Amino acid sequence: MTTTERPLVLPGDPISPDLIPSSTSKPLRLGPGLRHVPPSDIVPVVAGQLITNHQKNSMWVEYNSNRYIPAPGDLIIAQILRSGPDLYFTSISPYTPPATLPHLSFESATKKTRPQLAPGALVYARVVLANKHMDPEIECVSQSTGKSDGLGELKGGMVFDVSLQFARRLLMAKSKEEGKVEVLELLGGEGLAFEIAVGRNGKVWVGGEDVKAIVVVGRTLRETDEGGLGVEAQRKLVRRLAKGMK
Amino acid sequence: MTVSTTSTAPAAALGVLPRADGSAKYSHAGYTVTASVNGPIEAQRRDEHPYEAHVDVIVRPAAGVGGTRERHLESILQSSLSQIILVKNFPRSLIQIVLQVEDSPENDYVNTKLVQASLNFSIMPALFQTAVLALLSAGVPIRATATATAVAIVPQDGTKRSVVDPSPRDVEIAQSVHVLAFTSHDELLLAESEGDFTVKEWDDVYETAKDVCCRPVPTKEGMEMVLDDEHTNGPDLRHFLRSTMENKVASDLHWK
Repeated sequence: MTTTERPLVLPGDPISPDLIPSSTSKPLRLGPGLRHVPPSDIVPVVAGQLITNHQKNSMWVEYNSNRYIPAPGDLIIAQILRSGPDLYFTSISPYTPPATLPHLSFESATKKTRPQLAPGALVYARVVLANKHMDPEIECVSQSTGKSDGLGELKGGMVFDVSLQFARRLLMAKSKEEGKVEVLELLGGEGLAFEIAVGRNGKVWVGGEDVKAIVVVGRTLRETDEGGLGVEAQRKLVRRLAKGMK
Repeated sequence: MTVSTTSTAPAAALGVLPRADGSAKYSHAGYTVTASVNGPIEAQRRDEHPYEAHVDVIVRPAAGVGGTRERHLESILQSSLSQIILVKNFPRSLIQIVLQVEDSPENDYVNTKLVQASLNFSIMPALFQTAVLALLSAGVPIRATATATAVAIVPQDGTKRSVVDPSPRDVEIAQSVHVLAFTSHDELLLAESEGDFTVKEWDDVYETAKDVCCRPVPTKEGMEMVLDDEHTNGPDLRHFLRSTMENKVASDLHWK
């Protein structure tokens, strides 16, 4: 990531033109927290750190929040509310309209063989459709390959709520170097066996054979998030919790 | 007309309520207000608007239940806050702002036995500012930040004096009380007045309030300038808002 300067922006602040990437080969992409006011103004709408990526010719505002607003392509953990004639109604964040999950959006699902999900079941899914005038739609299958790619029902385990920013940090390709979260590697190093699925909607699902391990992993994640722990504090926390396991 | 102020520096804490999407606690001029913001969430059928979000403001007094006065403050806040929130981004949804008054200054001249719900205009800036801070904490998209202040015109020794952030005693003897809010683009967002005043007086009030709300944010080199405080008239609200948010963003992005 090539970022030179990361100024704090408040909503409505002017952005100095030399912070706006000016590649001519690629169109400028605006990420979350920015608004384009025609003809040429770019205005932040949330308080955060302005981040510019000159290679990708993109810019966005990095900030933390609790309310998930769906965006296409996001991986999320949704809970089935009820089943309709040909789709499931699912909840992706509390008090928002349900997202729809068609019965046929599963790997090798047909009208006759479709997964039977009871209300309350959890699915790991991708957002396919998210716009402001319609309820979001999610899927558990890749449209191009027809494979599930790890999406689908999450059996057993527990779900823990974390802040949206922490979920994004966990989902980073290099979460250890860029996101500064090491807890998962550390917990694995302590000999705990668990599976994990992180949803961008601020939910983390932890599965495994041993309920004790699940609880320890979930607690570590939540404490790391709420306490804003650095790498050293994370190591200390994992050592303490792992000691309690034995 | 001379200008004076009675208040101390404002104080704020963000994210005080763990379960709400955003929250803020703000105290200034004797008032303490806690706000929670939730949204965008699903609106009730009767509040649903096909093209924009419904902004719901609820004001709860420190004691007792809200009455007509609170409904009045709510309606004023609702109309000015929906101007800065990007309501068109979230059609058919609801943005709920709950403002709980925790503390209000006491009037030393009147013996109030019972803390009755008696809200007046001098609490408006505190309510408004808390709501803006909570919206920032929730990350609700807004057009611009805003700052608000109250100014009272108090008669004194035959002349008139304008008081920024008036105390309850000032409000009691004031001829008129004004509440003004400005966006960070120096646009007038809210102007409410009660009492008798002339156009000239209102113009003076406008200038005073604009000075409190819209003082230009100093550049990084000029940080020490603020401490010298050449303007003695009222706190620098815009600078306060920025430094509060700076702290919040710095603690959120500690890992960067």
